[in-house]
Amino acid sequence: MWKTGWWKAKYKLVIALILVGIGAMVFTTHDQRFYKTPLARVVAVKNGQAQKQTDEFQNVDYQTNQTLTLEMLNGKYVGKRLTVHNTYTSSGALDQRYYPGNQVFLSQLTERHGRLTANVSGYKRDVVLVFLAWLVIFLLVLMMGKAGSLAMLSVCLNAILFYFAIQIDLKMQASHAFLTFSVLALLFAFLSLLLVLGPSKKMVATFLATVLGTSVAMLVSVIVMNLTHHQGIYYESMQYVTQVPRPLFLAETLLGSLGAVMDEASDIVATLHELHEIEPTISRRQLFMSGRNIGKTIMGPLVNVLFMIFMADTFTSALLYIKNGNNWGYTFSMNMSLGTVQSLVSGIGIVLTIPLVSAFAALLYGRKGKVA
Amino acid sequence: MSSITALGLVLMVLMVAVGGRQGWSAFLSLILNFGFLFFAIILIAFHVPPMAVTLTTGVIILAITIFMGEDNLQTTVAAFWASVIVLLVLILLIYGVEHWAMAQGFGLEDSDDLEGMSTAIGISYLKVIITTATLSTLGAIAEAAMAIAAGVTEILDEHPVLTDAQLMHSGMQIGKQIIGTTLNTLFFGFFGGLLALFIWFAGLNYSFGTIINDKIFVSEIIAVLISFIAVIVTVPVTTLIMIYRKHRVIDKRDVVK
Repeated sequence: MWKTGWWKAKYKLVIALILVGIGAMVFTTHDQRFYKTPLARVVAVKNGQAQKQTDEFQNVDYQTNQTLTLEMLNGKYVGKRLTVHNTYTSSGALDQRYYPGNQVFLSQLTERHGRLTANVSGYKRDVVLVFLAWLVIFLLVLMMGKAGSLAMLSVCLNAILFYFAIQIDLKMQASHAFLTFSVLALLFAFLSLLLVLGPSKKMVATFLATVLGTSVAMLVSVIVMNLTHHQGIYYESMQYVTQVPRPLFLAETLLGSLGAVMDEASDIVATLHELHEIEPTISRRQLFMSGRNIGKTIMGPLVNVLFMIFMADTFTSALLYIKNGNNWGYTFSMNMSLGTVQSLVSGIGIVLTIPLVSAFAALLYGRKGKVA
Repeated sequence: MSSITALGLVLMVLMVAVGGRQGWSAFLSLILNFGFLFFAIILIAFHVPPMAVTLTTGVIILAITIFMGEDNLQTTVAAFWASVIVLLVLILLIYGVEHWAMAQGFGLEDSDDLEGMSTAIGISYLKVIITTATLSTLGAIAEAAMAIAAGVTEILDEHPVLTDAQLMHSGMQIGKQIIGTTLNTLFFGFFGGLLALFIWFAGLNYSFGTIINDKIFVSEIIAVLISFIAVIVTVPVTTLIMIYRKHRVIDKRDVVK
């Protein structure tokens, strides 16, 4: 059975990864000294009576007061105890219930007459992130081997590039936000494709098709939006904006669709490359038609991948809007219009790339076929 | 005409021009998925338990995406069952992780948007975030399952006598080919949407410690990592389903003999 052979080949790696995982978890549960913000552990909890409350839209919720006994975990008060109050609702939109053993951040920590007072400002969540990141690496390395490690490397490099682009954007005071992130998109595409495909003709064809497909899609979309005077797109509903929203939104859309377009382009080029290997005399026309056929089957699922990511994000606030007595149309406009536009623009990019990448690959491999 | 209608029409025309009948059904699947997603919000607003909504909407969206994306039944049926199994496993993982991370609802960064709103709506946001985290991975699961199932089907057509071990190996091999680009698709899909939030963090000089404990950041990264896990797990599960179905077909043939 392949499993036993697999286990023999990999058991050292499995043990090493598990040990690294345990090490990382122990570290993050005991990393309080690296935080400047005061941290404390909940030692005991006393819950009050739940109070029923009703808002003007007849939403019924229950509010509970808790008294928490905390033990300080860092700073000069390490080991000292204090009591704080916390209020939570059963919906928990902005608050949460604490249990013994939870670690919390404190604000306004002061000492008066030898007694500590503070407010709970947040919950320590870094352990969860470390655990999930470990789980991803564990599965990737074990199941996908070298390909998995390369994929992870490409994601990490992209994250680093992302960080620098944001710094540059801030340095330039967002004066050319769209340009900054377009250049970033070029770098992203080049780097990711280089890592996934290696330096080859395949990579050049995929890169060109990705860039051209995305650019044409952005251009077409901007023209359509301008012709319709951006009617129905509520830029003011964009979340966390600290800059002019419109270029930022375009940059978000561009970056959002980039991965999917690369995915599709490299799929098509890889298959056409293989077809050419099997039958070196294949004509350009045949290659183009095969490329279109592959594109047809992958475009639907791919557009849906992005659609689900963009739309699921709007779920929480859309629910809040509905429960606050807004009608469905207004809820859609204020929460989902931007996500919808993003999905549609990405979709246009994904579809436009199919003929482009098929044509590039046909030119690339078709010519070679004639010479041979 | 509103910009959304215009963009939708452009997409429809392009999809039909490039993909013909298949393009039309892809466009239709997008609209149906939107309908079911919106319907899910309405159901939860009417206090239907979010977990029930997640399960039903999840299975429906998977079915729409898979069965409307491809015609080959050998591929789609296997992809559908594989993705339903992955969905169930993921819901368990998401349930655990979200209860642990408590990153539900809104963060401090949302204060402006929440002004004048009543947030005590009587529906547990913890249950809602399980729904949203699950829904955001559905597209990725469906896509990966279809890619693997289609690849294994092709191999089975060419070499019908491969052993289970060889088939498993081929499935994983196809997985290795798609994993790099698929993770990139998800990375960009999620991070593109987070650009504004990251600029906020950088502009206000959030410290590293603050960011990795921030409610919104954590909830988004959980969604990214969960969808990575979803895609990775989909590869062996889909291959196993293909092998299982191959055996069933062979056994049936033996019975007929």
